[in-house]
Amino acid sequence: MYEAVCAHPDGDSTVARLAATAASAGYDGIVVRNWGATSADPDAVGADTGADVVRGTTVSVTDRAGASERIRRRRENAVVVAARASSPSLNRFVAESERVDVLAAPMADGGDVNHVIVKAARTHGVRLEFDFAGVLRASGGDRVQALRGLRKLRELVEHYDAPFVVSGRPASHLHVRSPRELVAVGAEIGFTDAQVRAGLREWTHLAARNRRRLSAEFIAPGVKRGRYEEDP
Amino acid sequence: MKHLPKHVRPRWRYLAVGIEAWPDAGIERSDFQRALWFAAGNLLGDPGSADAGVRVVAYSFRDGRGEALVRARRGTVSRARAAVACVSAVREHPVRVCVRGVSGTMRAARERYLDGLDTPERRSDVAFDGDARDGVCRGENVDVVAGDDGWVGARRRDCGTDGE
Repeated sequence: MYEAVCAHPDGDSTVARLAATAASAGYDGIVVRNWGATSADPDAVGADTGADVVRGTTVSVTDRAGASERIRRRRENAVVVAARASSPSLNRFVAESERVDVLAAPMADGGDVNHVIVKAARTHGVRLEFDFAGVLRASGGDRVQALRGLRKLRELVEHYDAPFVVSGRPASHLHVRSPRELVAVGAEIGFTDAQVRAGLREWTHLAARNRRRLSAEFIAPGVKRGRYEEDP
Repeated sequence: MKHLPKHVRPRWRYLAVGIEAWPDAGIERSDFQRALWFAAGNLLGDPGSADAGVRVVAYSFRDGRGEALVRARRGTVSRARAAVACVSAVREHPVRVCVRGVSGTMRAARERYLDGLDTPERRSDVAFDGDARDGVCRGENVDVVAGDDGWVGARRRDCGTDGE
């Protein structure tokens, strides 16, 4: 199970500190999903902390015009690409973008989803994110809104069998909660244990799939090097 | 009041929790208890919170690290764990509260999961972001003062603490 984190300078803790905390909390690794680049070397941090560090990124989608190009450029350097849209129509745009792995926090900041967006996400293989940050760290009306959003998203995802990921979206090592704690919180807000665990494992699957595709061995989907091929 | 007979007394489970905060946070036991009740009340509602009956029965905190034993009624450990996970700040100090383990007696919980508080090393020569800063080191972990923005959590590999 992996957790998707925002590290320094976007967050308050460095990649290494987040990786060490996540490893002690029981995660196999972290996906660093900063808005920009981090200076950390994933392999060195992974060897130091015992947690696999996956290079990811989050693209802010505020208009359709340049978004595809921005996503394409980020895709070249990142293993996992998440996109965060600022309106329901842009959520749909992201859900229809096959280059994006995860539609991040689709219900946050005035965002919304409907059956069209969820079906589009399923068709194009874009994971919808259940963002537990509002449940874990907000209070009052903000938290009620976050809970309402999670419930709506969960009902749609269950109905259309859409792919999803789960994250506590930690921006500091103090925000990291163990998988068991996320399962316990999920149980209180209507998720099953299996759903939360599957959502955390989906990051692992995404990272492994994309690393395979980025490796030199990969030729095209469904095509792989045969056992008779010889290097010149 | 006379004690209840043993077979009708409530059965408790004890959650051993570790508390982590920035080094300048001062968190009293009553603050932590209030934050825990607040989190449980908000997440579980009044009936759920009363059922779980979470209460801090042992507590220590120093220099941004702490340990506590939290009592919860048997059968509500998962709900208590969820409430503990939702404690994200105490008196506006961000905190991480993690459940290290659960035991049936306070003694077992203390012996198995609580290992005392260490004394951190305070340094003024932590090289971070091209600058020498104040920092607090604990093993490989370093909390660095980041000007007016508060603190940054780092590891020794992110900064030179020996004037390197």
